[in-house]
Amino acid sequence: MVVKVSNLVKRYGDLIALDHLSFSIKEGEIFGLLGPNGSGKTTAINCILALLKYDKGEIEVFGEPMTPESYHIKQDIGIVMQNVAVYNELTVYENIDYFCGLYIKDKALKKKYVEEAIEFVDLGEYRNFRPKKLSGGLLRRLNIACGIAHKPKLIILDEPTVAVDPQSRNRILEGIKELNSNGATVIYTSHYMEEVEQICSRIMIIDKGKAIATGTKEELKAMISLGEKITVESYDVSEQQLARLRELPNIVSVEYNEPLIVIKSSKGKNNLENVLEFIKKENIQFGKIYSELPTLNDVFLEITGKELRD
Amino acid sequence: MQVYKLCLKIIKKNIPVMLIYIFIYLSVSIVVTLSSSRQNNTGNDFTDTKANIAFISGEETPLIEGLRKELGRQANFINLPDKKEAQQDALFFREVVYILRIPEGFTQKFMAGEEVHLEKNSVPDSAKAAYIDLAVDQYLNTARFFLSTMGDVTQESLVKYLDDVLSQEADVKLMPAPAKTDVYGLVFSYNYMAYSLSSILVLGMAAIMAAFNNRDLRNRVSCSPVRETAANLQIFLASLTFAGVAWLTQIAFCFFFDIENVLTMNTVYLLLNSLVFTVCGTAMGFLIGSVVKGNEAISAVTNVVVLGSCFICGVFVPAQLLGETTLRIASFTPTYWFVKANNQAAQLTQFDLSSVRLVLSDTAVIVCFALAFFALSLVIRKVRRFS
Repeated sequence: MVVKVSNLVKRYGDLIALDHLSFSIKEGEIFGLLGPNGSGKTTAINCILALLKYDKGEIEVFGEPMTPESYHIKQDIGIVMQNVAVYNELTVYENIDYFCGLYIKDKALKKKYVEEAIEFVDLGEYRNFRPKKLSGGLLRRLNIACGIAHKPKLIILDEPTVAVDPQSRNRILEGIKELNSNGATVIYTSHYMEEVEQICSRIMIIDKGKAIATGTKEELKAMISLGEKITVESYDVSEQQLARLRELPNIVSVEYNEPLIVIKSSKGKNNLENVLEFIKKENIQFGKIYSELPTLNDVFLEITGKELRD
Repeated sequence: MQVYKLCLKIIKKNIPVMLIYIFIYLSVSIVVTLSSSRQNNTGNDFTDTKANIAFISGEETPLIEGLRKELGRQANFINLPDKKEAQQDALFFREVVYILRIPEGFTQKFMAGEEVHLEKNSVPDSAKAAYIDLAVDQYLNTARFFLSTMGDVTQESLVKYLDDVLSQEADVKLMPAPAKTDVYGLVFSYNYMAYSLSSILVLGMAAIMAAFNNRDLRNRVSCSPVRETAANLQIFLASLTFAGVAWLTQIAFCFFFDIENVLTMNTVYLLLNSLVFTVCGTAMGFLIGSVVKGNEAISAVTNVVVLGSCFICGVFVPAQLLGETTLRIASFTPTYWFVKANNQAAQLTQFDLSSVRLVLSDTAVIVCFALAFFALSLVIRKVRRFS
């Protein structure tokens, strides 16, 4: 195991930030920590990094207990903080060089790694820019470069795409997959379920400091009763028709917010086909119709009773 | 030494701002040094001057001739008619400052040891006239002394003895330092360091501390394999390097502006004082950097603290011109003690312990300020860390 967290408890006064949190991360995984803001993701990361003292529990990194003095363990960890942590007085190159130099003593090797990091985040043309002259997306890329330049075995990214434009976000996500394919184990925290779904091999959903579900995205979706969500756009549907629709096999719920009829069905075959036949039979006029498989938001909603972005 | 290098880089980025203070320092120092040297030159270029006097004698004897010759060393003789009105006019219009009139029969009475009278008129309150009067008295008193001790002596011999005795002169060497009475001008370049050096130190130190007090950056460095003690040691070394370079630069300028006094003991005490003040300025920067966040805020606080203390402590205006209440308030700042110690060090003519004690005690107060600033910064940092 690269990381093993057992029964971790962290309190801030009366507030329990982490409530007996346990999980483990295998080598080569991209492990996603998914949860709404304030769910305890960053607190968990800070405990793993020994930046925070915790009240109870054990944390092991690379098979050894993690303490503030575990400098040999820190040597192999790369961290990309939620807030951009770079020096405004230094240029892009100097910032990456500084953070890489905290880990790599060999000058030639350091220079090579810094160049590779600049190329990796595609900041070559901004190498002599100061951070204040960079856009939000470029700053995030610089933040990532500073965290991964020394080629760590374990990379922790704490919400690296907050306030980043879609183009930069995709670039960052692709980069994380590339780092992982190069052998790094990744811990990725986010409250964007699409991102976690897109890149993580295993996901832990966390809420109010508790782990509410852990597994691959398929395993998580299998945990809930929802099998399919069919949406029909129609301006011409009566209450009686909606009642008859609810009686179809596997249908869990039908909601109509003009003009959208949202039909949720449990796992089963021919759900979409049954709905289409019903619409044809009832002669309901419709604009478009589409089917979606459950998302992690649906998983979160079914388990906690609230939306992930609440 | 990544942290050490980083500190130096942060300081390097702030050099343009620091140069403004150096420029102000140089400009003001040049102006003050030029005006000060002009004032000092008038005091140091001592030359003998002679007073204009009138010497009117009713007789011509060797003794009177001897007196005339003696007075000739200190006076220019102006011929005046032996008329009261003309003499009064000459005094009034300052053609002469002193008129000596020797009545007929003076020499005979004098040689006989009888009571004699001279007629003297002078410009009221004239120092030159007083010196001439002293010279006349000295000549005649010495002559009387010879007469009383040697008994029967001719006028020629008496004049010769008097000439031998009175022509002897003691060697007087004018020392430049004590001759300088304008202490403000003398130590200005050192006193003004309180503004330029403090500003530079506070800016540099505050920039370093602001960077390292940033919570995200601090956490980021804590995640690295660099030990906290090693990082703190590197910050300390960088601060030391920066303070040392800043001090040496300022001292070089001080030497440049006061090249005549570089090798004096006064300079040694001025240097010691400025070195201690550099440590204090560094500690002040450490404190401001621990309290204030943001470069703009740091600049503003630096200006208020440094400029304010310089105004009330006698850096820009001599302390003698400041009010008692102002100076009492100023005594709660290290700048006041720095300026005070500088002024005292510049006036030292003796360097035994009792003489330098006052300078050293003021310097010790600056050390106390430095310790207080440093301790306060540590407390603030500790409180913040635990919060």
